[in-house]
Amino acid sequence: MPHINRFADLHAEITAWRRDFHENPELMFDVQRTAGIVETKLKEFGCDTIKTGIGRTGVVAVIKGKTNKSGKVIGLRADMDALPIFEATGVDYKSKVAGKMHACGHDGHTAMLLGAAKYLAETRNFDGTAVVIFQPAEEGGGGGDEMVKDGMMDDFGIQEVYGMHNMPGYPVGHFAIRPGAFFAAADKFSIHVEGKGGHAAKPHDSIDTTLVASHIVVALQSIASRNADPLKSLVVSVTSFRTESDAYNVIPQHVELRGTVRTMDIGVQDMAEANITRVAEATAQAFGATARVDYERGYPVMVNSEKQTEFAVEVAKKVAGDGKVIADAAQIMGAEDFSYMLNARPGAYILVGNGDTPMCHHPAYNFDDEAIPAGCSYWATLVETAMPAA
Amino acid sequence: MPVINRFADFHAEITGWRRDMHAHPELCFEETRTAALVEGLLRDFGVDQIKTGIGKTGVVGVIHGKTNTSGKVMGLRADMDALPIFEATGVEYASTVKGKMHACGHDGHTAMLLGAAKYLAETRNFDGTVVLIFQPAEEGGAGGLAMCRDGLMDEFGIQEVYGLHNMPNMPLGSFGIRPGGFFAAADEFTITVTGKGGHGALPHEAIDTTLVSAQIVIALQSIVSRNADPLNPLVVTVGSVQTESDAFNVIPQLCEMRGTVRSLDPDIRDMAENAVKRVVPATARAFGATASVDYRRGYPVTVNTPEQTEFAAKVAEKVAGSDNVNTQAPQRMGAEDFSYMLEERPGAYIILGTGPGAGVHHPEYNFNDEAIPAGCSYWAQLVETGMPAR
Repeated sequence: MPHINRFADLHAEITAWRRDFHENPELMFDVQRTAGIVETKLKEFGCDTIKTGIGRTGVVAVIKGKTNKSGKVIGLRADMDALPIFEATGVDYKSKVAGKMHACGHDGHTAMLLGAAKYLAETRNFDGTAVVIFQPAEEGGGGGDEMVKDGMMDDFGIQEVYGMHNMPGYPVGHFAIRPGAFFAAADKFSIHVEGKGGHAAKPHDSIDTTLVASHIVVALQSIASRNADPLKSLVVSVTSFRTESDAYNVIPQHVELRGTVRTMDIGVQDMAEANITRVAEATAQAFGATARVDYERGYPVMVNSEKQTEFAVEVAKKVAGDGKVIADAAQIMGAEDFSYMLNARPGAYILVGNGDTPMCHHPAYNFDDEAIPAGCSYWATLVETAMPAA
Repeated sequence: MPVINRFADFHAEITGWRRDMHAHPELCFEETRTAALVEGLLRDFGVDQIKTGIGKTGVVGVIHGKTNTSGKVMGLRADMDALPIFEATGVEYASTVKGKMHACGHDGHTAMLLGAAKYLAETRNFDGTVVLIFQPAEEGGAGGLAMCRDGLMDEFGIQEVYGLHNMPNMPLGSFGIRPGGFFAAADEFTITVTGKGGHGALPHEAIDTTLVSAQIVIALQSIVSRNADPLNPLVVTVGSVQTESDAFNVIPQLCEMRGTVRSLDPDIRDMAENAVKRVVPATARAFGATASVDYRRGYPVTVNTPEQTEFAAKVAEKVAGSDNVNTQAPQRMGAEDFSYMLEERPGAYIILGTGPGAGVHHPEYNFNDEAIPAGCSYWAQLVETGMPAR
C-alpha cells in the first residue's frame, strides 16, 4: 500500500491550501498571513500544543500519538516563504503580488505538512510524539537557525528531525536522498583592493589596482585546483569585479571583488576561508597594494546523518516502491537552511520528484500538486514507522 | 636683443585681450565669440587675407612680408578653446560662465599669436608669407584635424607649421623642445568579454567571464614588458573593469573593460594596437570565451621634425638665451591636437615656461601674462629668422 488512501480523499483540500498560499506569497520573515492560516488549521485539526512566534514568524505544533511508551519525539519540518521573483506561470491561481512568487515550492511543502498533520491528528496511530515545524525565511534569512536559537529543539524535546524538498527533474512521486553532506555550505566574500589611483598615462606614479585585483582573481583559482583534496568538492567563484571608476584614463584607487564559496565539508570550508584571505592579502602585497577580505559564512553544509537517512530511505521505499527511490543522490551545490536543524539534531533531508518542470527559482516554475499524496504519505509513514503503534 | 622691444609697448594691450578671453571661455567648436574677436583684431591690424569657418570655427589670417623672393610660407598656430572646469582662481577677470574655464592657457596662446600678428602686420620685416592659424577644439575635439581636412595646408600653401604651449612650473620665459616624438598618442579601447553566465555555485556549467577578464588584464601587461622596445615608451592601462552583475552568486555573462594606450612613436602605436587586438581575443579563446576590442585612435604622436626643431630651438635661444632653452625636453604622456598638423607638414611644437603655479587643467590654473613678451617674440623671431628680410 504505497500511498495512504486517506490522502486521496484529502488531495483536493490540500491542493486548495497550496494554491491559496501560491496566490498570496510572502517573503522571508514576513509570512504572517501564511503562519496565521497554518496556526488556524492546526487548531482545527486538534493538535495538542501550538506555539507561534518561534524564529519570529515560525509555527510549531505537537501531535501526540495514541500512546507514548517509546518516549520518542520526531520533528517534521516545512518552509513557508516565497521569493522576490515576477511569476510567469500563467496559472489561474498565480501570485497576486507583483514581484513575489512561490518559485521554490514552499507552498507545496507547507500544504503537504499540513495535510500530514491533519491525518496524524485524526488517526494518532503511533506511539510517541510528532512535532510539526513550519519555518520562515528559508531563502537567505536563516529562519531555521532562528527557530533553533529560540530553543525549539529543547522546548519540544525533539530527538530527530526530518525535512523534504520538491525537486524538478525527478519523476513525480519519486524520492532521492543521500547520507552525509547533501547540500553545500554557501559563503560569500568581498575583497577590497586598495592601490594608488592616478592618471592612466602615468602608471609609474600609481599602483594599478585593476591589475592587482586581476592577479587576485587568477591566484584564487589555485585554492580549488591546488589546495583542495581533489575528491572533495569546492567552488571559489569571483562573480563581481568593479573598479570604482569607469573612465578610460583613470587608474582607480579601489576595486571591489565579490564572490561565493561552496563546500561540502567543514574542513574544506575552513581551508578556503583561510586561503582566500592569505592569497588576496599576499598577492596585493606583492604588488605594493593592500587587500581586505570580508568573509561571511552563510548556511552550513547540510549533512544527513547515516542512521536517519537509512530509515528515510526505508520509509520512501514503502511509499513509492523500491525502484522509485534513489539512495545515493548526487550532491547539490545549492544551500539549504535545514542544515541548522541537522546541526542541532540527527535527521535526514529528502527530495520528492516534481517532474519535468522548470528549475526552482525560475519564474515559470510551479509546484506539482500531483506530488501531494506521495509527500503526505512520506510524512505520515515516517511517523507511523518510526514510532509504531503499541 | 632677446625680447622684441615693441612687445613691451603691446604688453598691456595683449594682456587686455587675454583677460577678456579668459572672462568669456568657450568650449570645443563653440568658439564663436573668440573667433569673432580674433577676426576683428586681424582686420584692425590690416592683415592681407582673413578666412573664417575653417574647421567649423577656425580662423586663418595671412600676412605678406615686404618681399616674397623666398616663396616661403610659414604657419603659426594657436588654439582658442576652453575647458569644462569650474574656475577657482579668484582673479577679477575670472570666467563669467559657470563650469567653463580657460584652464589650459589657450587664452594666452591666442592673445600671443594676435600680438605677433599685430607686430608682423605693422613691420612686415620679412621675405615670404606668414599664415596665422587660430584653431578650435584642441581639447578632445580634434579641431586641428578638422582644419586640415578643410584643406588648410594646401589652400594657404603652408610649407612648415609651428605651435607653442605654455608650461607651468618651468622657469618663466624659458623654452623646452625636442626632436621626434614629444607628446604622446592617446588611444582608447573598450573590451567586451562574453563568457557563459550562470550560478556562482555551478562553475562547470558556465564560462567564468570574470576570470577570463582578469586573465586578459594580466596578459595585456606583456605588451609593454615583452613586445615594446624598452627604450621606446608605451603605456597600456586597463582603467575600468565592470562585470554586468554585482551579485555574490552570479557568474556574469558579460564584462566590459576600458583603457588607454599612450605611445610616443607611430610604429610602437601600431604594434600596441595590433597586440591588444591579438592578446584579447586569443586569451578569451583559451578559456572558451570570446572578447571583442573596440580600439579608437585619438590624437596621434606629436612628432617634431629634426630640421624645424633645430631651427625653433635656435630662435628660442635668440629670445631667451641658450641657458634657458632645453633642447632635450622630457617626453610627455599627454596628447596634443597639433600632431595632426605635424602629420601634414614639417614643423615643431615648443613649450614656454610660465613659472610656478597650478598645473594645466587645474581649477586654480591661470595663464601668466608675464610670459607674453617671450611668446610673442618667439613668433616674430621665428618669422624674421625663417624668412629674413632682403
